[in-house]
Amino acid sequence: MAALPRSKKRKQSSEDVVAAVEAPAFSAPVQSLEMLSDDEGPEETASDDGQVDEFPEIDGASDSEEEALGDDEDEEDEDEETDKEDFEEADSDDSLDRDIFPKPKTIISDITGQPKRVYPEIEPDYDSDSSTEDTQNRVGDVPMHWYDDLPHVGYDMDGKKVLRPARGDELDKFLSTVEDPSAWTSAFDKTAQMDRPLSAEELDIIRRLYANEVPDAGYNPYEPMTEWFTGKGKEEIMPLSAAPEPKRRWVPSKWEKQKVMKIVRAIRQGRIISSKPKTASKLDFYSIWSEPSTSHAPPLPAPKPRLPTNSESYNPPEEYLPSEAERAEWEALDPEDRERDYLPTKHSALRLVPAYDRFIKERFSRQLDLYLAPRIQRVKLNIDPSTLIPKLPSPQSLKPFPNYKSLKFTHSSRARCISISPDGAWVISGDEGGVVSLWEVNVGREVKRWKFEGKIGALEWCPRLDVSYFVVGVEETLHFVIPPNVPSSIFLLTQSLLAPATLPPAPETPSPVKWVTPPTSSWSPDTAILTVHLPPSSGLPKQITWHRRGDYMASVSSGGTQGGVWMHQITRRHSQAPFKKIRGAVQLVLFHPLKPHFFVATQQYVRIYNLSEQKLLKTLTPGIKWISSMDVHPSGDHLIVGGYDRKLCWFDLELSDKPYKILRYHTRAIRSLAFHPTYPLFASSSDDGAIQVFHSRVYNDLMTDPLIVPLKILRGHTVKDGLGVLQVRWCARQPWLVSGGADGTVGLWCS
Amino acid sequence: MGRLRAKGKAGAAKAYVTRTSAIKKLQCSLADFRRLCILKGIFPREPRSRKRANKGSSAPTSFYYAKDIAYLAHEPVLKKLREHKAFAKKLSRALGRGEWSDAKNLEDNKPVYRIDHIIKERYPTFIDAVRDIDDALCMVFLFASLPSNARLPPSLIENCSRLAAEWQLYVMHTRALRKTFLSIKGIYYQAEVMDQTVTWLVPYQFTQSIPADVDVRVMLTFLELYQTLLGFVFFKLYTDCSLVYPPPLDVKKDEGGAGVGAFSLQNASQPAPAVAPKPQAVEIDGRKISGKDVRQAIKTMTGADSEINGDVDMQTAESNPMEVDEEFVPQQSTSDPQSTSSLTTLKALTALPQSLTTSLFSPYTLYLSRETPRSIFEFIVRSFGGRIGWPASSGSGSPIDESDESITHVIIDRPLVERTDETPEERERRSRRKYVQPQWVVDCINAGKILLEEPYAQGHTLPPHLSPFGEYEGAYDPTVGLTGQTAEESESEDEDVVLPDEEEAEDGEQVAEKSALRAAAAANDTASLRAAELAAEVAGVDYGTFEKEVRKSRKKSKAPAKDDAEEGEQDMNKMMMSNKQKKLYERMKYSEKKKASERATLAGKKQQLEKQKKRESKAG
Repeated sequence: MAALPRSKKRKQSSEDVVAAVEAPAFSAPVQSLEMLSDDEGPEETASDDGQVDEFPEIDGASDSEEEALGDDEDEEDEDEETDKEDFEEADSDDSLDRDIFPKPKTIISDITGQPKRVYPEIEPDYDSDSSTEDTQNRVGDVPMHWYDDLPHVGYDMDGKKVLRPARGDELDKFLSTVEDPSAWTSAFDKTAQMDRPLSAEELDIIRRLYANEVPDAGYNPYEPMTEWFTGKGKEEIMPLSAAPEPKRRWVPSKWEKQKVMKIVRAIRQGRIISSKPKTASKLDFYSIWSEPSTSHAPPLPAPKPRLPTNSESYNPPEEYLPSEAERAEWEALDPEDRERDYLPTKHSALRLVPAYDRFIKERFSRQLDLYLAPRIQRVKLNIDPSTLIPKLPSPQSLKPFPNYKSLKFTHSSRARCISISPDGAWVISGDEGGVVSLWEVNVGREVKRWKFEGKIGALEWCPRLDVSYFVVGVEETLHFVIPPNVPSSIFLLTQSLLAPATLPPAPETPSPVKWVTPPTSSWSPDTAILTVHLPPSSGLPKQITWHRRGDYMASVSSGGTQGGVWMHQITRRHSQAPFKKIRGAVQLVLFHPLKPHFFVATQQYVRIYNLSEQKLLKTLTPGIKWISSMDVHPSGDHLIVGGYDRKLCWFDLELSDKPYKILRYHTRAIRSLAFHPTYPLFASSSDDGAIQVFHSRVYNDLMTDPLIVPLKILRGHTVKDGLGVLQVRWCARQPWLVSGGADGTVGLWCS
Repeated sequence: MGRLRAKGKAGAAKAYVTRTSAIKKLQCSLADFRRLCILKGIFPREPRSRKRANKGSSAPTSFYYAKDIAYLAHEPVLKKLREHKAFAKKLSRALGRGEWSDAKNLEDNKPVYRIDHIIKERYPTFIDAVRDIDDALCMVFLFASLPSNARLPPSLIENCSRLAAEWQLYVMHTRALRKTFLSIKGIYYQAEVMDQTVTWLVPYQFTQSIPADVDVRVMLTFLELYQTLLGFVFFKLYTDCSLVYPPPLDVKKDEGGAGVGAFSLQNASQPAPAVAPKPQAVEIDGRKISGKDVRQAIKTMTGADSEINGDVDMQTAESNPMEVDEEFVPQQSTSDPQSTSSLTTLKALTALPQSLTTSLFSPYTLYLSRETPRSIFEFIVRSFGGRIGWPASSGSGSPIDESDESITHVIIDRPLVERTDETPEERERRSRRKYVQPQWVVDCINAGKILLEEPYAQGHTLPPHLSPFGEYEGAYDPTVGLTGQTAEESESEDEDVVLPDEEEAEDGEQVAEKSALRAAAAANDTASLRAAELAAEVAGVDYGTFEKEVRKSRKKSKAPAKDDAEEGEQDMNKMMMSNKQKKLYERMKYSEKKKASERATLAGKKQQLEKQKKRESKAG
């Protein structure tokens, strides 16, 4: 076997090499120096070549068996060569050895006291293998974060610690970058833990990487191709294999043909239609309206934009030009709030008219209107607005009605309540100071004055004509007073009525209301002949109302149980509460003028009770937030209700529970309402200081609606503390009106 | 008790659908829905109760009629839009895979929708269509003036300008133009076509740029509809006039900036001369045709179809350039020199029949100075039968030269400059012609008669240009001067203004005079009047001034007194109005008052201006 002896030989040669390597270690350094100096040029290159080529050869000893399969002769030649070179190398290695293994000095260590060998510092010169890098840190390729907590960053060649270089803070770094011109070409060196300027080669590599070139400067990607097998004279004329050429190389494919034939057949049968020739994509127009249209109604045409007016002209009349104020106002408005989307401007010549900058914007907004805005068809009312005002008879034709203020009677404080005697000759008026004055309607002369404790809440004259007295409601009491200067017959009858000699039998059920008649001896015209004490804590009687016969009287107090409503019978000197319990705070009560019905107005509703049957007849809903006043028509079929929310409701009691008419004309709350007992008139007074007089004609037939005509607004009271005219009352036989105001005046309005 | 009804099964809840649910039902994108709505003319409706229509919710939404949406569901365009969506998907996939041939194939077979059926549906009769072309014309004229960019392909702009030119040609041919108004926004034209007034607005010739807050897609969708609509309308209009539609375009003239003149109207009865003399035309060109040329021509022909058309058009136009002009401008045999003066002097001529006013400019030949916009005035003058020429700088195709003898008016918009280097010939020409500013032309046609040229002469301050469309009834009329009464009042006011200055210099006697006059003013009944008269006599006031004073004061006092009584009654009667009526009344009164105040401010301003003018003239 050739392999074995060869390997032996190989071994031998390698041993030789080792010997050769070892041998120079002991040779004199002087000699080697000489050699180096002698053949610097050729020797150097030779030795370098030798080194490069050598090492595989040496390592190759192990895998020589592979190569053994090749030709032995070559091998042997090579061996010889290597041998030769080995010698040469041995020579050259001499110098190497000297560099790698410098002579150590033996010194006594001052730490251990033992002798130790100290090698001289390596001069990193051109020959040394680490000549390119001047790094001291020999820590190797280890993660540098191992040294993060240590003061050093590694070890130098001598095993000494390489201390971490001082690194400033960020500001220092920044300053150094500013100062150092080479800062931008330096990079952080991990092993040295400091910034190092990049070398020219490194910069070149970076540049090449940026330029997408091969980083190696020495690499030439465009080396001329060496043609080994092609080119002139190198064509291979002999086939690579002796296999005969297959038929498919020169016979057309059967399968392809089948496939093509399939398509051809499909085209012939019309299954595949060739794409149509490209026609002009332009729509050709034709007579589209020549055929009759469908029966569909056409959609409504879009509304046309408004045509331009004079102000849009490029040269409008001067009065159309906006003043400075108008211009500022127009500019301050939001564009969508502007009435016109342009400001009129004047140009002296057509050539000076500029482009309209919102042209496209306006076209666009028109299109948005066309497809985004809901359209509503509106009937345009082309009527004179005055035709909307109802045609009513002229007030001049509806005379008499109160027209002007003929008298004025002054109280020291608010004249809250007034009442007129049933014969229409006398007026009593009460104010908040507790003063009740009796005066004549015709001349306004005060005849008598009474003074009561506390406010006067209500006053009412008894409607009977055969007797003459009135009732004054003050704090929790009702005083019955006979006016002076009455004929003696009437006076006697009144006295016997109010202070009879024999008292009627007391009712079975005790009433909390006390009827007290002072002894006849102590009675004088200044004091009340009869006093009714309402139950304690019932408060001020707000309203007193009489039944038309004058026997029954109802009073409404501001507080107390049972809604504060008390019904008093004069002849029997008896009072009773008609309601055990009532929902809501009672504002007002009224007797029906003809029927035994009783109207009770709570805050929002008016209830009608039948007194004889003792049941609720109906509830009226005026829709007023807070009812302030109410009056019933003398016929008893109509009711007017006024509220603090300025509304006046007219109810036709035959018709509905809902108001027949709602009027809202006062600017402030309505305070008082009154129907005239004989004339077709009613009046309302309000906190705005006005009294409104209406004509209200009620027809007997059910078909005709009542006629309501506003007649006159009487102004003359002044508004004081937000209060205007507090009460109005009609004189029974004349179309005269008496009104009491918050300014303390009581006025008489005559026709 | 009737049958129970489930909520939301009938009434408004059924009749209206919200936009979101409509889109859901149609299974298309919002953009497609918008496009469909624009094309079909479907717009939102306002239900009487939004809450009821939206199942109890009062959220702000737009509602459509459910039936409208049901019609949309069967729309062929919707089908095409869906196909287009699929096509876009396929195309993007092919492009993503780099299958270029597939992509090209797809692109060739791109689904394209037609909207002629929509035109027929929206406008069942031709009159309906003509009534509704206002917006279409505005848009087409606007886009014809826009520069093309990535969003606006040049073909679109070209088509728009072609449609605009076709409309102008038709209006000129039929003399349909009635009114013109030069506004700050642009030029309003009003024409009468098929007894319908068509008003359109043309921007001044400046480069417009589309602002950022305008959605171009919406505008382009509208434009798509409008182009088709106008195409069909023009086809019908042209064929009804027995003209060929589309009118052939002369490319060479068009490139020369001939504008409307690049198109030529052809009678449909005449055989189109374009086809026959084709080889002849080639010879006229004076070029020898080699094989190379032919090959090159074939190459270009395969490249674009339009170029073929262009070639053909060029030949036709060259064959009859003069015919075109004669069709538009019937030459008047002789222009009566008397007619001008008679026209201007007779005021009754406003009531002349339309036929005369449409040929208003026929006796005249106008020449445009180079700074006047040619497209506007060529259109206006030719629609009223005039002959017009322009310098070459305004575009080619001018039928007359500047030195033409027949020119009667020159429309010039330059300030007057004294020229020293004028040849006698030029001076002579200048004296023969009338130099007027452009507003003269427009005011003439709005007035329906030839106005005096004097106020419109070059360099003069123009009289105000008023809208021919009028305003609402009872609006302020700037043409009416201050009436006699108001003039008198203003005069007396003037006196009042002056009086205080005099008063200072006057002595006690004059003061007594004054007081007597004042007493006269205050006198109401005959007795006091008599007393006042005596007092005036004592003071030395002459009877004339006294009477005047009395009359004035009476006028002042009487009118308001009567009004007061009536108004008070009316005010009271207003109480009896129902709330609804009251609100309606207030609204009407409000608008009335607003109009009145508008009128009053304008009149006041005018008065102020006149006073100022008077003062200036006095001072100057």
